[in-house]
Amino acid sequence: MDRRLRNALQGLTDPDIERRRRAMEPFERATFDNFKKILYHHLGNETECEDILEDVYADIWENPEHLRNVYSEKQLIRTVYLYYMRKRLREVYRRMNRHLHLSQKDLSDLVAPDLGILEVMSQLELRHVLRRLLNRLKNRERRAIDLWMQGLSSRAIANDLKTTVGAVKMLEFRTILKLRAMFCDYCNED
Amino acid sequence: MPDTNRQIQEMLVDFADALRDGCIPAYLKSLTREEAQRIASSDDFWNAAQVVRVINSVGFADKAVTPNLSLFLSRVDAKIASRLKKTKSLSKNKHSIHPPSYFRKKAGGTLTKTERNDKSL
Repeated sequence: MDRRLRNALQGLTDPDIERRRRAMEPFERATFDNFKKILYHHLGNETECEDILEDVYADIWENPEHLRNVYSEKQLIRTVYLYYMRKRLREVYRRMNRHLHLSQKDLSDLVAPDLGILEVMSQLELRHVLRRLLNRLKNRERRAIDLWMQGLSSRAIANDLKTTVGAVKMLEFRTILKLRAMFCDYCNED
Repeated sequence: MPDTNRQIQEMLVDFADALRDGCIPAYLKSLTREEAQRIASSDDFWNAAQVVRVINSVGFADKAVTPNLSLFLSRVDAKIASRLKKTKSLSKNKHSIHPPSYFRKKAGGTLTKTERNDKSL
């Protein structure tokens, strides 16, 4: 773990609240990017990420007990997600759920699921693995995912692949399931 | 008019689009009761949703930028200050509430209402 982050973590677990408050700034500077990426993983919206992260940091300042025995960055990310972020994510969507048809449990699983092995992988490793797995797909499957990652709509992808929107959606769905099986194989190999 | 009887693959792709475009609430609101039940009973949807999150974060998380980190830091500090203020006012209130009747009796020498009733009996 980075020395600056380790010092900030030590300051955060201090019983004195003013000292904890002073330790927040270096802690935020050291963790902001990583925490934001995790939230982005679930929300896909920068503004919402920042709003939730604001509460998450305040919660950490108020109740830092869970961070007492954290010794690595991976452990930090896992702990912060499980004890602080997930609670806030669920709270945001719980308020919305009065007007939704999804059950509370399904909603929680969709927007704030448990951490799987893929979620604790570093961004760099994920990018590397995904690139490798995409290269193993058929041309048409890879093209559909690449275009989706470029931000194209299903209709635009259908135009590019000279097919219908329904066929593109089915192709994407099957390709994503295929990718999942490949991810599982990769994790088992590891 | 939105499609109200989507199959599982359509709902998954719509979820992926919503996640990519940052409008998950709109997607959740678009789900009908039947579609929600279909999602709940489909393992494929949950498995695929996990991969969609990964692809989304690999493809787009790096592009999410915060223009002014100092502004964010000051927002967090303001939030902490407001919580600190709330905690202080709560603890102040705790100390300033009226002491129980047996303390009052000792201090002022007056009797509580029940004690007065007991005496009159």
